[in-house]
Amino acid sequence: MRNSVVVVVWAYMIAAVLTEVESFYTIANVTVLDSVVSLLAASQAVAIVLFFMHLKDEPGSIRLFALIPIMFLSALFIAMLASLG
Amino acid sequence: MQYWLRRWLFTTNHKDVGLLYFFTSLYFGIVGAILALLMRTQLSIPNNALLSAIYYNQAVTMHGLIMVFWFLSPLGIAFANYFVPLQIGASDLAFPRLNAMSYWLFLSGGLLAVISFFVPGGSANAGWTTYQPLATTTFEPGVGPTLVYLGLVLLAASVTLGSVNILVSIAWLRRAGMTLSKLPMFTWFILFTIIAMLFAFPTLIAAFVLASTDRILGTVFFSTTSIQPSILWDNLFWFFGHPEVYIVLLPSFGIIANILPVFTGRPLAAKNAILVATALIVVPLSFGVWMHHMFLTGIPVSLQGAFSIATIAISIPFDVITLSFVESLIRGRVRFVTPMLFALGGVVLFIIGGIMGVFLSSPVLDRVLRGSYFVVSHFHYVMVGAAIFGIFAGIYYWLPRMTGRMYNERLGKIHFVISFVGFNILYFPMSFLFDMPRRVFTYQNIGNWAMLNGLASVGAFVFAGAQIILAANLLHTWFRGPIAPANPWASEDLEWTSSVPHITPAAEMDVSPPPGGWIGQLVGPPLAAYPALAAHSAISGTPSHSLDAAEAHAGHLSTRPIELSVGAMVFLFGAAFYPAMLSYAAMGIGGIIVVYTLIGWARDDLAEKFVVPSEPEGDRWPFSAVPKLKLGMWVFLSSEVVLFGSFLGAYIFIRAASPAWPTGIHDIPLGTLNTLVLVSSGFTMVMGLQAIRAGNQSGLLKWLAGTFVLGAIFMGVKVSEWINLGASGLTLSAAVPGWSLAASAYYVIVGLHGAHVTAGLLMMIYLMKKTSSGAYTRDSHEAIENFGLYWAFVDIVWCFVFPLFYLL
Repeated sequence: MRNSVVVVVWAYMIAAVLTEVESFYTIANVTVLDSVVSLLAASQAVAIVLFFMHLKDEPGSIRLFALIPIMFLSALFIAMLASLG
Repeated sequence: MQYWLRRWLFTTNHKDVGLLYFFTSLYFGIVGAILALLMRTQLSIPNNALLSAIYYNQAVTMHGLIMVFWFLSPLGIAFANYFVPLQIGASDLAFPRLNAMSYWLFLSGGLLAVISFFVPGGSANAGWTTYQPLATTTFEPGVGPTLVYLGLVLLAASVTLGSVNILVSIAWLRRAGMTLSKLPMFTWFILFTIIAMLFAFPTLIAAFVLASTDRILGTVFFSTTSIQPSILWDNLFWFFGHPEVYIVLLPSFGIIANILPVFTGRPLAAKNAILVATALIVVPLSFGVWMHHMFLTGIPVSLQGAFSIATIAISIPFDVITLSFVESLIRGRVRFVTPMLFALGGVVLFIIGGIMGVFLSSPVLDRVLRGSYFVVSHFHYVMVGAAIFGIFAGIYYWLPRMTGRMYNERLGKIHFVISFVGFNILYFPMSFLFDMPRRVFTYQNIGNWAMLNGLASVGAFVFAGAQIILAANLLHTWFRGPIAPANPWASEDLEWTSSVPHITPAAEMDVSPPPGGWIGQLVGPPLAAYPALAAHSAISGTPSHSLDAAEAHAGHLSTRPIELSVGAMVFLFGAAFYPAMLSYAAMGIGGIIVVYTLIGWARDDLAEKFVVPSEPEGDRWPFSAVPKLKLGMWVFLSSEVVLFGSFLGAYIFIRAASPAWPTGIHDIPLGTLNTLVLVSSGFTMVMGLQAIRAGNQSGLLKWLAGTFVLGAIFMGVKVSEWINLGASGLTLSAAVPGWSLAASAYYVIVGLHGAHVTAGLLMMIYLMKKTSSGAYTRDSHEAIENFGLYWAFVDIVWCFVFPLFYLL
């Protein structure tokens, strides 16, 4: 991976954090704010996994393995919140 | 120190560790069985006053916890330790020291749990499910329960490390030609078990960390009444708890599937169907049925329906497995030797227990049966009957391999008959007690309760008594059993047929087993006494991992696993007594031992004192292109995802359920700046990796130093934030509604992340020292790459923690 790619990813991370904070101050609607911030957080995680952890260069078996806990956690989160009624 | 003592304390050999697991599990099994007999004696007649309510509750709680966590699960792991490397043709597990540490953490956790009986107030008594808020200090006061819960945290840590190790071993250490399609069924089922363990146990850690901080530090996760804490606990506990059923069951099924072809003389029917059903349905769906344990908690009816369907669906792969077993039996020429009898018994008991389970998948029937002895009968048929009979089959099947001697067949068959009869006398009557509440310490004589309970108690003593026959047979085999043939069952599996030195049977080596059998190499310098083995070891040219190769074994010993585990145990023992004076002393001593060990471990590595023997390149698909350590790191991090996910899931639940939540308490500009610092440390870490990939050692050192400084700044700011927040009133005892809960969540979850950052900083010191000595080069920098993965993961967690706690 070229250094320039690393710098671009880092720059994106900085921009994403600042956008999150900017959104906090400017978006009044809680649902919209939650959605925007969640998406930005998820995008940062994906950027780190793909470029800083080099998952994009790993074989499919590792990529699949990285997805398994996400699948289980999604089930936990959804059902856990649903159990509140 | 005597060699035999050093060996058993410091061994990292997979067979030794397997035996340690085996005998330790049996010890805990005896403790659990004594508690069970106490319970059954108490319930044998109505209005019995043998045990008071509190003692009965302690007995039932600790019986469940000990049997599930320190007996049934680790017995499967004992066999996995011993036989998985043999079945795949490896000389040891992938990370031998980690393996030893898993064992010592397991034992340390168990000791904490058992010690709890001897502290004032006694042990845990809220049931093995430790339902909250019943298990908070309000309703379950005392240090004993805290010790048990901290013991469970140690156990779960042990399981996570062990899972990583065994999974990497199966993926990476298979000898050439051992493709996945040729993998023995036992190893396949251990793989399935390990995957379930890897993703289930982190949730248990999260649950018990939250429960323990409530008890020790005064957080209010489960003591507050404003957020439905019981639902939070149920979700966390049963998300772990239901996969645990399969974690207990699958090793036993693996043993049965492994030995059925041997004793029926034909290949296992529908082998591929079993594998596909287990891999694609049992393991994933085991994480999708937990709410059938919560039908009575008031969860929405739509959820009840969904989880009812999922629960029925998970029975389908077990139908496939059971029908396959039955077809194998019908078409084969069955040899009714002891292992086969126990395998058959396990299948029969599983069918009975499984049919009972189908009733419980219905929310309507569950409403009637959930609190009754019908459930006790069901889960004992599945978790005890099927699991333990399969394990007994494994004991008899592999005893000749472990001891070099044959067991007594007649005693084995008597053991089977009495066990099978005793088990059914014990648990079958309970299925008729569907109208008797199961969480009572005594009862009135209503209907047939007295007769059925009396019968069950007789069965308990018969079943327990039968195990004396097993013990006698084990001892007889060990000391007086006739020499076993090399392959007494004519099995085609590698553990019986391979000529790899460490698994070469006595007969093949043309040496007699030593006095006491191979398993009995407890004393003396054995290799010298067995020239043929010594010669063979010398010819092989590799450090033998044989039980018998004393000299080679000596280089494979490590004091670090036991030291670290003892340190952790002493620290947690002290933590349970917090804030008593004893607490500080014990935590101090434990902390010093842990730090001393970690430094020693790093020094060992710097001096290359402990060398893991290199494995010849074998069949590593689908991980051929991934180095061993890197694979281990990915597997470990995947379990960490579940750990942090469970904590963050609990936080989101709390936020969603809490009617009041403090706002404006965090310094957002400072938090933002600190986030940018941590994000930048991820960048500098990657640049360090880029540098060493280009062969630039000084560049690596500079980028590592930069990463360290940024990480240290992050932690410094965190500490200052904590101090300021505490001063501004965000404390665990805050009176403002929602504040104590917010403080609990913030300090525990952010603290856990901080602990990970701190651990990373310590690792960086080690890496910088190695870098400065020129240890890493363009072609050899795996440690840097793996640490980079860890550090990036810490970054990812903060990407969610920051917005969740500061912004939303």
